[in-house]
Amino acid sequence: MNAFGLAPLLLVFPMIGVIFNGWFGYRFVRADAKVGEKWAGFFSTGMALLSFVIAVLIWVSLLNDHHSHIIPLFDWFNIQGGLFRIQWAFQLDTLSSTMLLVITGVGSLIHIYAIGYMHGDKEFARFFSYLNLFLFFMIILVTGSSYLMLFVGWEGVGLCSFLLIGFWFDKPDGVGWANSMAARKAFVANRVGDFAMILAMCLTFWVFGTMDYEPVFESAIEMFKAGEEVVLPWGTYSLGAVLKWITFLFLVGAAGKSAQIPLFIWLPDAMAGPTPVSALIHAATMVTSGIYLITRSNVLFEIVRASGDSGHLFGNISTPDLVAIVGALTALYAGLVAFTQNDVKKVLAYSTVSQLGFMIAAVGMGSYIAGMFHLITHAFFKALLFMGSGSIIHGMEHGHHHLHDHHDDHHGDDHGEHPGEDHHDDFDPQDMRTMGGLRHKMPTTFWTYMVGSLALAGIFPLAGFWSKDEILATVADNPDQGAVFTFVGWTLTIAAFCTAFYMTRQVKMVFFGEGRHEAVEHVPESNGYMTFPLVVLAIAVIFAGAINFPKIEFGGGEQAYAGVLAAVAPAEEEEAGLIPTLALEHWLEHSIESYYLTNKADPPVLEMPHWPTTLNFRVAIQSSIIAIAAIVLGWLFYSGWSKEEPFAKDRLEAIPVVGSVWLFFQSLPFDRLMINGWVETIFKPMAALSERLDWDFWHDYVHNNLIRDSFISVADVLSNAVDPDGVDGVVNGTGKLIGAFSTQLRRIQTGNVGNYALSLFIGVTVLVVYFIFAS
Amino acid sequence: MDLTTVTIEWYIALSAILFTIGALGVLLRRDAIIIFMSVELMLNSANLLLVAFAHHLGDATGQVLVFFVMTVAAAEVAVGLALIVAIFQSKKSIDISEVNLLKG
Repeated sequence: MNAFGLAPLLLVFPMIGVIFNGWFGYRFVRADAKVGEKWAGFFSTGMALLSFVIAVLIWVSLLNDHHSHIIPLFDWFNIQGGLFRIQWAFQLDTLSSTMLLVITGVGSLIHIYAIGYMHGDKEFARFFSYLNLFLFFMIILVTGSSYLMLFVGWEGVGLCSFLLIGFWFDKPDGVGWANSMAARKAFVANRVGDFAMILAMCLTFWVFGTMDYEPVFESAIEMFKAGEEVVLPWGTYSLGAVLKWITFLFLVGAAGKSAQIPLFIWLPDAMAGPTPVSALIHAATMVTSGIYLITRSNVLFEIVRASGDSGHLFGNISTPDLVAIVGALTALYAGLVAFTQNDVKKVLAYSTVSQLGFMIAAVGMGSYIAGMFHLITHAFFKALLFMGSGSIIHGMEHGHHHLHDHHDDHHGDDHGEHPGEDHHDDFDPQDMRTMGGLRHKMPTTFWTYMVGSLALAGIFPLAGFWSKDEILATVADNPDQGAVFTFVGWTLTIAAFCTAFYMTRQVKMVFFGEGRHEAVEHVPESNGYMTFPLVVLAIAVIFAGAINFPKIEFGGGEQAYAGVLAAVAPAEEEEAGLIPTLALEHWLEHSIESYYLTNKADPPVLEMPHWPTTLNFRVAIQSSIIAIAAIVLGWLFYSGWSKEEPFAKDRLEAIPVVGSVWLFFQSLPFDRLMINGWVETIFKPMAALSERLDWDFWHDYVHNNLIRDSFISVADVLSNAVDPDGVDGVVNGTGKLIGAFSTQLRRIQTGNVGNYALSLFIGVTVLVVYFIFAS
Repeated sequence: MDLTTVTIEWYIALSAILFTIGALGVLLRRDAIIIFMSVELMLNSANLLLVAFAHHLGDATGQVLVFFVMTVAAAEVAVGLALIVAIFQSKKSIDISEVNLLKG
């Protein structure tokens, strides 16, 4: 008995939610906001929960049977007897099951949260309809059995991302315009990645004749073992040389979706969407599809790594190395920019970019388990942080409204110097500089936020500690992998320092000190719909590290830390004894073919770097010290922010040299480089080309001479010759002919009875004569 | 040929003459009453022939048929005279050359 056959239901439930909310939900909300919101919200949430139940059933079935299961639904394309055949099929294996659990699990919690967060929005039902549509496409993305199915989901989640970022496109005072611009920016930036994806898929099909994962990987391995060359129309190439371009294009696609250099610039702007969207799409699920793609294609990446010279893109950098470098640089850059942000959500957005960089770097180093592990824990704590920030924003808005009402009530006897245009009008509920001291006002939000940010900073024993350590340990455990790994290791270590520092800055500015705005005094705790998911996720964040505890081994090179080790070890040993170690690794390795080809095949086919299996004490202690140091530094820097001058210079900005660096990063150098440099540079010649070549020359020539003139001459013949003489002649001629004939014919109708009688008589006579002689 | 004996040929000849007179009357005359009478003449020529052959062949069917013909002729006279009266009331004439509403 297994639940694999239930896979189509994964898609059915969210689609029912989409249809329900799209067709009926908004009518309910319009008719009666209170009841309608309950219907729309709970229906959607129920559908998400049902998908989660199915995902759990599939997971349970996979526990007994680790193999990959293909559940075909129907043929999508079937051309020329299987020459091009794409099945609409689900691939259920440990990797897609893991992704499914994260998507539907975190997704369901965010649905619940959104019921509270979106309360009072007149487009309540539309919002939930989009959320369910997003789940639908995301499930297609992770369960599809071919690159084309993945691409369907890939485009679908892009669409939902666009719709949800621009959800408030109709807000007044230009805010709606800014929101829809952000949505468009996300869409366009993703388009670049999508284009690379299309090229990669075409190339894959060209080389392997199919787009299904398993046949592609199998034939890639066979070709690699046999040393076959790939014959393309314009030449013959080694397998590594072709695959390096396929995987490079996959990297570009992943950079678009997972917000990596150079395409990450859309993600911070995507914060224009409602906060549940940021939590679900732009932190926990959609942005991880790039990591999923690379993990899914691990065989192709590892073949490139093992191909030696032919797999090198430039110098001695192969595609997996480039993936790791891109990830590490993104992690560091976004971490530095996060220092300079004052918007509570923007900090988290850059933090997300940075953490995605960690994951990309991990999968680039072949440590797919570490990447997936960090993906899961990050989904938990970043969804938690985003929902916490939503709770804060909600609270600040409420406080501000309360303040406004209060002022209006006592308008006459209050200060009254500037009636109608006081400083509250440009109040920004997301600006951390006006917050402070919220820990007393929102205790639940505060405690869950603390758990989330400590996990993100990588503090023992929260989830982020284990997953981030596994990534860093990959570097330490592979000393033979050369300069790239060393570079990535150091970059990520610095990025980890940044992470702890900017999170401390944020927590200090938001929750500690004293309130720097009157609104803070009136901030209420958020309602149960919003705090319940926070508590659930906070508990998940505390224990999520357990899904992949490393083994603890004593002795060896760890003698230097013997003292520290003795203090830490007993507790860890106990935990490790209770929970099986490396659960995630044993679970996911069934989906990662490269693992078997490296470690179980004889002789090894591929040369994947080692996966860290034991706790690396040097790395663990080093990163703990760095994180704690960053927290202490951040705490000291941002203590005592003055209540009177909330908009004073940032503490880092005030330091001479650091300040200029700070300002440099605040100006978003990469965005400027992209928008002012790259886009402008490309745009100007393109505009010139389009105007010169296209408009003046080809456009005019083609349109005036070829299209217009030939059209006119044909139309001339048609209208002056064919139509009057031909068509009209036939039509009018028929009429005239019938007229002339009937003019003649009417003459026999004399009206004279005698004539009729005569013709009758003649007729009878003729008949009689005929019958007489005929017989 | 024995002219004293009246054979069937005589009847056929008389009937043909009567029919011809009737047909010519219908075709050539304009007075509706005359035309009507000519029609009666044609009907009666047929009756004459039916009776003659019935007698000649010793079969009563022809004689029975004559009664039907006379019945139909009576009905026809009733309808026809009514039509003529109606025409006369509107036209003050029963000249059928003036009744040409069907002229195309």
